[in-house]
Amino acid sequence: MADGGPGDGSCGGSRMVRGLGSAFTRLFAVQASWNYERMLGIGMGYAAEPLLREMKSTDAPRHADAVRRSAEFFNCHPYLAGLALGATVAAEYAGEPEDRIQRLRTALCGTLGALGDHLFWAGLLPAMMGMALIAAVLWDPWWGLGLFLVGYNGCRVVVGWWGLRTGLAGGMRVGQAIATSWIPRARFVVGLAAGFMVGLAVPLVGRFQLADLPGAAAVVAIAVAVLGLGLAYRFGPTFRGVRYGLFVVGVVLLYYGIMP
Amino acid sequence: MIEGIGIATLALLALWGAVAGIDLVSVPQFMMSRPLVVGVVAGAIVGDPMAGLRVGVVLELFALDVLPVGAARYPDYGAATIGAVLVVAGGPWVSGVGLGVATGLVIAALGGWTMPVLRRANAAAIAGRLDGLQAGDSATIRALQFAGLARDALRSGLLVVVAISAALLIRYLQPLGDEAALALTVAVIGAGLASALAGAMRTAGRSVRVRWLMAGLATGLAVVLAW
Repeated sequence: MADGGPGDGSCGGSRMVRGLGSAFTRLFAVQASWNYERMLGIGMGYAAEPLLREMKSTDAPRHADAVRRSAEFFNCHPYLAGLALGATVAAEYAGEPEDRIQRLRTALCGTLGALGDHLFWAGLLPAMMGMALIAAVLWDPWWGLGLFLVGYNGCRVVVGWWGLRTGLAGGMRVGQAIATSWIPRARFVVGLAAGFMVGLAVPLVGRFQLADLPGAAAVVAIAVAVLGLGLAYRFGPTFRGVRYGLFVVGVVLLYYGIMP
Repeated sequence: MIEGIGIATLALLALWGAVAGIDLVSVPQFMMSRPLVVGVVAGAIVGDPMAGLRVGVVLELFALDVLPVGAARYPDYGAATIGAVLVVAGGPWVSGVGLGVATGLVIAALGGWTMPVLRRANAAAIAGRLDGLQAGDSATIRALQFAGLARDALRSGLLVVVAISAALLIRYLQPLGDEAALALTVAVIGAGLASALAGAMRTAGRSVRVRWLMAGLATGLAVVLAW
């Protein structure tokens, strides 16, 4: 096994510290070349490059193989990609055989995808956006924006940095590190907060938009909303807000086109 | 030229829309592409922050319905919100929001359609450089990464140009009378409220989260009724 890589914690050199910062920065663009064949693969390869650079001078053939592997098919939540990046780079420095590294990447795909989707897309994002909407309509739009952008991205940056460091430290044992971390618990709590905040925001936003309209208009808007919810209940996951929005727009335009 | 909105303002809007479009997926995913963010900033650019807020809030309700999960095709609300704000800016919001949001929804759906095109173009570029990837060549990876970013910038730029053009055309034509415009505003607000709640219910499923959603909804309704 090769020594001196990030996985065994002995990489304190300034070159690797610079590489860590560079890899973290590059993770913000991990989806820049997203495609159906390799998904995040190229973005992961691009982010891995600064961390693998040190290997080039110590083990050039392994470096070329590691770079090739880093850009192969991979998919997970973009904000948690650092966990997988750190773990696979640590495994490369630890001299793990190719099939073990491939299995690690495959295992992390589903795990990090599901965790990130629940934690961020279905949790933190709607929770923070619910708060932002309430602040924007009740208080001041700029404060709403500031609250959302600083709060959401602050969490995202901290989690991203934690993920990269945890992955590098965990290597092949990163799965255990994830399972015993704060993520599963946070995912549950943030999910509840998201439900509450969106539920709270919808009536307040409705009032903000409808308060200045004639009374009958509010009744019609509520009827349109109730109809939409009925359709969502009837059609389940196939219901899409954009489709429903375009449908009601079509109905209104058709009505006034026929009866101007 | 449309009264009150000059070339410099349109250029600034286009730039902001392109930035928001790139932020959606490519870099840095700071959620600058959310309709509320795009709307308020676009409103400030055109000198009508309230129009930006009104439009941004309604389109945000629609956006809350969709989780931007992995390979899913999701609407691009960045350029859409730019177009919507431009339709409403400077006029009475009651008669403008409906038409603006309707324009925004069409552009958002069009933007969603551009995503698979971009992803297929990225895949084709990779297929053309497989030798470099197989050799573990870092320069090939960098080139593919920057090319993907450039493609998304082009996609976002074109989409925002389409959005601004459509908005200017609608402002010029003023296709709806007052009653139809008001009806459209009411309809899109209702549909937006349904979208946000439908999305929240779908995400909650049958878990304990439903109870928290209902508790939030009940609290919000109580606040509104006590207002």
